[in-house]
Amino acid sequence: MFTSILCLGGIGLIASLTLGFAAKKFAVEVDPREAAIMDALPGANCGACGQAGCSGYAKAVAEGRLAPNLCTPGGSSTLEAIAAILGIEASAAEPVVAVVKCQGDNEKAMPKYQYLGLTDCNAAQKIADGPKACPGGCLGLGSCERICPFDAIHINDKGLAVVDRNKCTGCGKCVSVCPRGVISLAPKSVTTHVLCNSHDKGALVRKYCQVGCIGCMICKKTVPEGYVIENFLASVVYEKPEGIETAIGKCPMKCIHDYATPAQKTAVEPDSAA
Amino acid sequence: MVTLILILISAVFVNNFVLARFLGICPFLGVSKKVDTALGMGMAVIFVMTVASVVTWFIQYFILGRFGIEYLQTIAFILVIASLVQLVEMVIQKSSPVLYQSLGIFLPLITTNCAVLGVAVLNIQKSYSFLESVVFAIGAGLGFTLAMVLFAGLRERIDLSPVPKSFCGTAVALVTAGLLSLAFMGFAGLVKG
Amino acid sequence: MSLKTFAGGLHPPDSKSYSEHKAIEACPLPEELVIPAMQHIGAPAEICVGKGDLVKKGTVIANAKGFVSVPIHASTSGEVIAVEPRMHPSGKLLPAVVIKPDGEDAWDESLKGGNPDDLDAEALKKKILACGIVGLGGATFPAHVKLSPPADKKIDTLILNGVECEPYLTADHRLMLEESERLIDGINILRKVLGIERAVIGIESNKPDAIAKLGKECIAHKIEVVPLEVKYPQGAEKQLIDAVTGRQVPSGCLPMDAGVVVQNVGTAAAVSDAIRLGHPLVERIATVTGPGIKEPKNLKIAVGTPLQHLVDQCGGLVGEPGKIIMGGPMMGQTQLSLEAPAIRGTSGLLIFRKEDIDTREAGPCIRCGRCVSVCPIHLQPTLLAAYARLDLIDEAESANALDCIECGCCTYICPATLPLVQSIRYAKGGIMAKRRKS
Repeated sequence: MFTSILCLGGIGLIASLTLGFAAKKFAVEVDPREAAIMDALPGANCGACGQAGCSGYAKAVAEGRLAPNLCTPGGSSTLEAIAAILGIEASAAEPVVAVVKCQGDNEKAMPKYQYLGLTDCNAAQKIADGPKACPGGCLGLGSCERICPFDAIHINDKGLAVVDRNKCTGCGKCVSVCPRGVISLAPKSVTTHVLCNSHDKGALVRKYCQVGCIGCMICKKTVPEGYVIENFLASVVYEKPEGIETAIGKCPMKCIHDYATPAQKTAVEPDSAA
Repeated sequence: MVTLILILISAVFVNNFVLARFLGICPFLGVSKKVDTALGMGMAVIFVMTVASVVTWFIQYFILGRFGIEYLQTIAFILVIASLVQLVEMVIQKSSPVLYQSLGIFLPLITTNCAVLGVAVLNIQKSYSFLESVVFAIGAGLGFTLAMVLFAGLRERIDLSPVPKSFCGTAVALVTAGLLSLAFMGFAGLVKG
Repeated sequence: MSLKTFAGGLHPPDSKSYSEHKAIEACPLPEELVIPAMQHIGAPAEICVGKGDLVKKGTVIANAKGFVSVPIHASTSGEVIAVEPRMHPSGKLLPAVVIKPDGEDAWDESLKGGNPDDLDAEALKKKILACGIVGLGGATFPAHVKLSPPADKKIDTLILNGVECEPYLTADHRLMLEESERLIDGINILRKVLGIERAVIGIESNKPDAIAKLGKECIAHKIEVVPLEVKYPQGAEKQLIDAVTGRQVPSGCLPMDAGVVVQNVGTAAAVSDAIRLGHPLVERIATVTGPGIKEPKNLKIAVGTPLQHLVDQCGGLVGEPGKIIMGGPMMGQTQLSLEAPAIRGTSGLLIFRKEDIDTREAGPCIRCGRCVSVCPIHLQPTLLAAYARLDLIDEAESANALDCIECGCCTYICPATLPLVQSIRYAKGGIMAKRRKS
C-alpha cells in the first residue's frame, strides 16, 4: 500500500519537476494577444483580409502590421473583440454583401453557343468570351458557389447565381473568381439594385435578354439623385439610397430589384425561398 | 537475430498496429489527408514509441517489478509517457523550430495515444527482453507509418474522384480503411506467433 | 514492312476521301476582305493603314511588333473601307483591316524577287520575315524565328511536314502533288538559310501518290522522302521528329534542342514565292470539306476571305450545320458563325451537320486508361483533368501539364466524353498565371 503510493508519487514528482524545469528552460515567447485575437476571429480562413488564413491575420494584427477592421466576415462584433484585446478604439466598416447583378437565367437570356466543356466559368469564358450572348451576364457554371466559404451563393435551377444575403459575409471571394465581374459588393443596408451587367446599347440588349438594362434613363428621371447611367447601364448610388425603390415599378425591363420585398423575392429567387 | 527480424516483420505487417490491432485509429483517420503530414506523423510516432518503450521497460522491471506493484502498470505508464512526450515537445520547440514545425504539431496528438501505450504494455505481456522491446517498438512505429502513408495516398486519390455526396468525407474514408485492413489480413500466417 | 512512327497516338477515320482527289481551285475574290492583325503566334501586328487608303496586293498593312511577330499584307488591290474590330476566328472582336477589292488584283510594283543563289542566309531570313511567312500547318508560328537558332544549338536536319495527320484535311496533300516544284525550291532555300545538307520530307502512307511523286523528284536534290505509318498526331513537331529521326525532344525544350528544324510543306512553298517572286504570304490552300458541305473542294484562297464566301464557292451547306471548325477536327477552332474570315493559319474549313455531332453530357471517369495509352507525350490526362477540376495547380505542374500539346487524342478516345483537353488547358493557364505572379 505504502510502497505503491510512494512509488507512483515519486514517479509523478520526478516527472512534474522535470517538466517544470523544462518549461522554464525551454520557454518560447508567444504574444498572448495573438492567440486571443485568433480566438476572436471567425476561423473560416476565407482570405478576405488578404492573408492566407485567420492565424496569419491574427499575427499581423498583433504585430500592428494590419488594421483590425479587415475581417469582413466577423463584422462589428469581431472588430469590437479585437479592439478590446488591443486596447484601442476602432471604427467598424459598414457590413457589405455580394450582389449578383444579373437576372438573365436560362429562360430569359440567349445563349451564344452550346457549351459542353468543363463546368467552370473561367474555363468557359476563355472560349469565345463565354457561352452567353450577353457579354456581362452570369454564366451559371458555379465557380462562385464552389469557392464560397460560407455556403452563401448558389446556382439556381435556371442557371443563375443567387446570393443568400443572410449567410453572405462580404468576404469578396466570389467577386474575385467571377470572370465576368457580375458580382459586386454593396452595403447591406441598400436593398435595391439594378440587376444587370451589360454595357451594350439598348437595342442589342433587347435581342439577347428579356430583363437587361437598356439605359433608358427612366429610373434616373424618377430619382435623379439615386441612380447613375454609365455606358448604357444604370446603377444605384449607394451613398444616396433615399427613395430609390420608387423607381422599381417604372423600369420597363424589370431589372431593378428590391431584396427587402418578400413578394418579389419569391419571384426572382425560388431557391432561397424554398 | 532471427527472433528480432521476425518480431520486426510481425509488428510491421502481420500484426500491424492500426490495421490488425486497431490501435491508434484517431490519428489514423485524423491526419491522413495528405501523404506529407501522414509521413510526419508516422516519424513522430516511431520516435515516441521507441523512447516510451525504453523508459517503460525500465519502470516495469526496476520499479514496479521490484516493489511488486505490477497492477499499477497502466497508470504508471500513462503518467510516464504523457510527461515524456510533453518534455520532448518542449525540447524540440526550443532547439529546432524547423523540426517542430513539421513534427511538433503531432506530438500533443500522440501524448495519450493508445498505440504508444499498447506497445509498452505488449512489451511486458510478451516478456520481451530490452533489445526485443526496442525492435518491437520500432516495428510497431514503422507499421503505423506504413498504414498512415498508404491510407493518405488512397485519400488523396479519393479526393480527385467524384464521390457520391452522401459518401463524401469520413464515410468513404472509413470504407477505405476497412478495405485496407482487409488487405492486410493477407499477411496473416506469415510469421508464427 | 513496318513504317516509322512514334509511341502513343491513335488513328481516327481519316475521312479524306471527300476532297483528296479534287484538284486545287482558285477561289474568286469576295466582296470584301477582312484581314485581322492577329494572325500568328506572338505579338499582334500593328495596323499602319487608315480608312480610304488605296493598297495593292502585297502592300504592308500592319507592321511586325517585336521579334516573335510578322508583318501583314493586303491580299488584293483595292481600297481600305474600314479599320475596326471584326469577328476573329477565335470568337472575339479583334482589330482588322477591311478591304474592298478593285477587281484588278494587281501586285505592288515595289515587290521584287531574286535568285536565292545571289543572297546570303541573313538576307534570305530578312526577306522571309518581310514577306510575313508563318508556319502554315495551323499553328502559325513565325518562320524566321524557327530559322534563327541560337549559335550554340547545332542544327543538322530539316524536316518537312507533309504528314497532314488531321482527318478531313487534304490541302498539303494536293500541294505536294500539284506544286512540288515550288515545294522543292523552298526546301533548297531553307537548307541554304540553315546551312545544312540533310532535308527529309515526312509523309503518311495514306498519300501513296504524293510519296511516289516526290520520291522521284527529290532524288536529284538529295532530299529524303520518308513514308510514315498513318497515326494522329504525327504532324506535331515533337512526334514527327521522333518518327523520322528517332530523337526525343526533352520536356520543356524546342525541336532545335534535338538538332532539328521542322517546317510545313506549305511554308516551304511560300518561302519559294517570297524569295523568287518577292510575293508575301497573302494566299494559301485550304480544304473546305465535311458532311455539311455540298461539294468539298481544295481552294486557293486570299487571306481575309470570309468563311461564308468559301461555303458559297463549294455549293453551300447540306442540312442544318451543327458545328463549324476552322482547321482540322482534332485541333481546329470551333466557330460561332461563318462571319469570321479565313486567316493565314486556316488549313481547312470543316462543317458538320447537327446529326453528326455527339452532344452527350460528360459522365464520370471510368478509369479505363485509354487517354493514358493514346497520349503521345505519355501524360495522364485523367489525372491532370482531376487536378484542374479541383484547382490543384501545383500538383498539375508537377505532373507536367505544361508538356501537353493539346492534340485532342484523350478527348477523342474518352468513352465518358470528358472535356480532358479543355481541363488541361485550364490547368496550364493556372500554372502560367502562377509563374507570372512569382
